[in-house]
Amino acid sequence: MMWSWIPGNWSLIWHLTWENAKLGVLPALYGLVLSLPLGVIAARWRWFYPPVLTVITILYAVPSLALFIALIPAFGLTDTTVIIALTVFSLCVILPNVVAGLRAVPAPVRQAATAMGYGPLRRLVTVELPLAIPLIIAGLRVGVVSGISLASVGQLIGVSSLGYLFIDGLQRSFPTEIYVGLVLVIVLALVCDLILVAVGRVLTPWAADPRERRTSRAARLVKVAG
Amino acid sequence: MAVDALNLEVPEGKTVVLVGPSGCGKTTTLRMINRLVEPTQGLILLDGTDVKSRNPAHLRRGIGYVIQQTGLFPHRTVEDNIATVPVLTGWPRKKARERARELLALVGLEPELAKRYPHQLSGGQQQRVGVARALAADPPVLLMDEPFSAVDPVVRAALQDQLLSLQAELRKTIVLVTHDIEEAIKVGDIVALFRPHGTLAQVAPPEQLLAAPADDYVAGFVGFDRGIRRLSFVPTEGLVLDASPILPADATVAKALAVGQPWICVTDADRRPRGWVAAATLAETPGDTPLGQVATEPVGHAFTVGTDSLRAALDAAVLSPAGQAVGVDGDGRVRGVATFDQIRAAIQAADAPAADLRLDQRIPEGPRS
Repeated sequence: MMWSWIPGNWSLIWHLTWENAKLGVLPALYGLVLSLPLGVIAARWRWFYPPVLTVITILYAVPSLALFIALIPAFGLTDTTVIIALTVFSLCVILPNVVAGLRAVPAPVRQAATAMGYGPLRRLVTVELPLAIPLIIAGLRVGVVSGISLASVGQLIGVSSLGYLFIDGLQRSFPTEIYVGLVLVIVLALVCDLILVAVGRVLTPWAADPRERRTSRAARLVKVAG
Repeated sequence: MAVDALNLEVPEGKTVVLVGPSGCGKTTTLRMINRLVEPTQGLILLDGTDVKSRNPAHLRRGIGYVIQQTGLFPHRTVEDNIATVPVLTGWPRKKARERARELLALVGLEPELAKRYPHQLSGGQQQRVGVARALAADPPVLLMDEPFSAVDPVVRAALQDQLLSLQAELRKTIVLVTHDIEEAIKVGDIVALFRPHGTLAQVAPPEQLLAAPADDYVAGFVGFDRGIRRLSFVPTEGLVLDASPILPADATVAKALAVGQPWICVTDADRRPRGWVAAATLAETPGDTPLGQVATEPVGHAFTVGTDSLRAALDAAVLSPAGQAVGVDGDGRVRGVATFDQIRAAIQAADAPAADLRLDQRIPEGPRS
């Protein structure tokens, strides 16, 4: 480990980290945007989901490098190639969670919403999707973390990411670069994950933390006993 | 077919209870009113208009809906849950929340609960919020599907009492579904009893259902103790009370024996019942002893003449060591006692009009009020 390498290459490290973050996060966001309408359709028309799930599972089984190479004829050795491939992968983890989240809306809640006079669209936007947020966020977290990790593979087709440090370190037999790249990928994934957890908390104030739920249950017991 | 050839009229401002075994179509019937279920044939008229001719969402905003599992929105606070329909119909949020606070008070909940989420409330509180939400836009019609079935019996009784007092004030047209005949008899102005496959067995006021069941199915459904339960609807005003065995605590044993009754009801200075003492016990006590110094057996409970029913009087007699019910006035002062014979006489007197009810039975599906 050669610590002095780090300050000497600060701007390179920063640039690669930023590129890697972009390549990891953007596909997950695109995946979310695609998953929402697909998930809504799949939750409403059940026959739609099994074939879609089969297709995305097959796509998910394709090695990332193979998918990059398959996309090169259309999009070249560019960010776009990597982003499209990683969007497909993120779709595979986010869509099932969107569907699960919408299906997990309790039937009495949905029925009550209808009986109160909600139209289907308003019910979806103001009742069902908000209630699906915890599961959607869970899917997004997996999508972002795996995206950040897979983005480094993009380096193999020349798209800048922290993967550069692995390849360069290997070619030059310089392990410091590899360690720095590894640590940065992990830190980047953790930071993005924490941000998503925080976003989830803000968006779902009703899904109180387990500590509060315990006390309220205890308070309820006391009330019943008293 | 869940519901077949059903003809039922719900009078305005009354509570009609649909009751029957599970799978009898009572919930289906209820859901046809707000078009959660569409009938394959026939008409549902609300205020004379076919519900099918109305936009379902608009129709439903004018019909309150309460269900067993509450269906409260987990992601909205209590006040926002209650404000749902007002907000849907375009009220400004502030005004809708003010309305929610009013309703919170109306259903007997603390204002502090307004900012809580449903999961932070007890089952009974959630059910009250459900009722408040249904009432928020002041709909003339309220549909309640097993509203109190998921809570424990004590809370259920409290919720039923609350429904009765709300209804006395608000006079909504309520259709309530339950499988619990006791609940139907307690809260219903009219009970519609279903047979297993969506046809009606009898539609009648509860006292008539108990006194004159249309057939063996109805009699079986209302239960073996219907004879006793229908006494809940017979007032105690006609009951003859005997004041002779009632003596104050400062009267002597000798005086009590002179009354010639097998049991003496001893009262305190305010004429409230202290207890029963048997003549056999008094015979072994010195004659100049005040009754207040003789050990008595507890009265159990007394019934209030006028407000309590004959069922309460009969229950008081059954629980009393003397086999006699102690009747008190509104302030708890003893008015007199009633024996089983006197209670039976009052029941027989009440049975005379029941014969008329039985004739009335032949037109079971007409409007009644």
